[in-house]
Amino acid sequence: MFHTSLSLNDLGFLAQGAGVTLLITFWAMLGGTILGIVFGVFRATTPWWATAPLAFVLDIFRSVPLLIQLVLVNAFQAIAGLNVSAFMVSCVVLALYTSAYCSELVRGGIAAVPLTTRRAARSLGLTWWQDMTQIVYPIALRIMLPSWIGLTLGVMKDTALVSWLGIIELLRTSQIIVTRIQEPLFVLTVAGLIYFIISFPISRLGARLERKWREND
Amino acid sequence: MKLLLTAAVALASLTTALPAFADKLDDIIASGTLRCAVVLDFPPMGSRDANNNPIGFDVDTCNDLAKVLGVTAEIVETPFPDRIPALVSGRVDVGVASTSDTLERAKTVGFSIPYFAFEMVVLTKDGLGIADYDSLKGKKVGSTSGTYEAIALEKSVNEWADPAGSFRSYQTQADVMLALSQGQIDATVVTSTVAGSTIATGNFPGFVMGGKAPYEIDYVGLIALREEQGLLNYLNLFVNQQIRTGRYAELYKKWVGDGEAPNLTVPGVYY
Amino acid sequence: MFNYTFHWRPAFQALPHMLSGAVVTLQIAILSMIIGVAIGVLLALMSGSGNKIFRGIASTWIEIARNTPALFQIYMAYFGLGQFGIHLDSFVALLAGIAFNNAGYLAETFRGGLRVVPATQVRAARSLGLGSVSAFRLIVLPQMFRAVFYPMTNQMVWAILMTSLGVVVGLNTDLTGVTQELNVKTFRTFEYFALAAVLYYLIAKAVTLGARAFAYRLFRY
Repeated sequence: MFHTSLSLNDLGFLAQGAGVTLLITFWAMLGGTILGIVFGVFRATTPWWATAPLAFVLDIFRSVPLLIQLVLVNAFQAIAGLNVSAFMVSCVVLALYTSAYCSELVRGGIAAVPLTTRRAARSLGLTWWQDMTQIVYPIALRIMLPSWIGLTLGVMKDTALVSWLGIIELLRTSQIIVTRIQEPLFVLTVAGLIYFIISFPISRLGARLERKWREND
Repeated sequence: MKLLLTAAVALASLTTALPAFADKLDDIIASGTLRCAVVLDFPPMGSRDANNNPIGFDVDTCNDLAKVLGVTAEIVETPFPDRIPALVSGRVDVGVASTSDTLERAKTVGFSIPYFAFEMVVLTKDGLGIADYDSLKGKKVGSTSGTYEAIALEKSVNEWADPAGSFRSYQTQADVMLALSQGQIDATVVTSTVAGSTIATGNFPGFVMGGKAPYEIDYVGLIALREEQGLLNYLNLFVNQQIRTGRYAELYKKWVGDGEAPNLTVPGVYY
Repeated sequence: MFNYTFHWRPAFQALPHMLSGAVVTLQIAILSMIIGVAIGVLLALMSGSGNKIFRGIASTWIEIARNTPALFQIYMAYFGLGQFGIHLDSFVALLAGIAFNNAGYLAETFRGGLRVVPATQVRAARSLGLGSVSAFRLIVLPQMFRAVFYPMTNQMVWAILMTSLGVVVGLNTDLTGVTQELNVKTFRTFEYFALAAVLYYLIAKAVTLGARAFAYRLFRY
């Protein structure tokens, strides 16, 4: 019979870690999506030379390892004397990181709306704002949503890196338990299972939405 | 009346201007709290008890310091890599975190005189034929990234230049122990305190000490911001008093065990 | 506010050391891509095959690779397998972890790539007298390659970024490993990690621009 020293208490500890993972994911996605929409709309509606500096900065977030970004921002806030917690640093860095990807999604979504459709809307007398909210938004949303769900899952997995700053999230809790009971394979499998349980249904939902909406096209 | 008003304004501006000259030591006393960075995965210096309360040599040292300052101590848990950011950002006032006083680091933070000293020992598993430091030659060894012993061990491995030997650095002490127990590495060099408490946990059957490592003694100091000379002076005197009053020996006995507490003086030189 | 003086000169002196770390980083990324592509193609073919066991293996691999953190996969390759007595070197464990991840994502890409070429084209090619092998080589493969090229470039950049996770399994020769060693010795976190960030950016840009130039030569009509 399989024997393990993993107690119910430890499972509770893992669940707590999963809670932290979800909480950071939530803040990162909230901040990242809002910023991403702003940046994305700005980049989609303004000539490229005006948005080049923003594009450059966003590109940096996608070209430098998240781990390096976290350490760097944490060190910088220390130097600048901002005195913010590691949790805050993690949320901010992840939100910026998310916004870089999200702005691409938004830009791609807007670009996918045929220009002729938008011209037609404008010639029917709709204002720019009406065009954006009533024509572009519903069409672009369909294109973007599956990828946005994918992004959410990606960010959820990337939160594993914040343990570097001393935040005790899901992966870190599993490492702490491993230290005590010395059963890395089993404990890590349980942690992996928790990640899977959170992320698999959402990714299935994303795939279903994508299929469903493609049929309607 | 006008004169009185001028005097009042002058007095007010004087008193409001004064705190600008207050240094960290004044700030701590005024705030009533001493915030110490302590590493809590480094028994017996710092760890957590069954109720998750911080305990250990460093925790007691911080409490003693707060007591003499007449303030309450607040233990801020910092992993090894976060000690300096926490200090520089002002999240903590001092670090009581077993920080080796290397000249390289002294370019960035200020060190007090040593408040503890570590002796390094080889930790290995029985049956691997490692009896002393020299038999580590040609073995797979590893240690916690950036620690005093890791730097010394890596240097030895490079000097031996044995193709069969290798050095790995892990981010936490726990990972080193895991790697050793799984056989990813054959041996590590740790402080005698860590070796003792690791073997004592009973979690690692087969772990044995493989003799002393011939390193210079690893003196560790309290750390504060480099420019806070007033605070650093106070810390020096505090360490001196801990030893003078016998509190140092008492804490050693409480956390490490019987035996002579390490001598913190270096013969033949002024500090 | 800035109660800190930057020490850039010693940091720049460490640059050659960091550059040699960057070479290791690039090595791991390239190797992981080669392995990842090979396994990815295999998984894509397996998941499209009629064999239930093959399909099961492929979908298990893909779902685990895509639904757990890369850090977890690397940690598992090192400490998880270690419990079985399988001792991968830190370098190999990192490589295995990233290759596992790459294969999972690339398999999905290739699966999509296989679908882009309509079966009618193959039939048309065959009726024009091409053999099945040359129809695949001349008609299907070029179009498929075009479809998967851009996602593959993305995955390559991902692989470079993922190499930074090697520090958790004791790797101290890649760019992040070297940077972290310098950091803990000097406590000059900001300076060294800022340099590392610039180097990572340059590597990632070199890869993307190189791929773009390659694509321009390859996919021009």
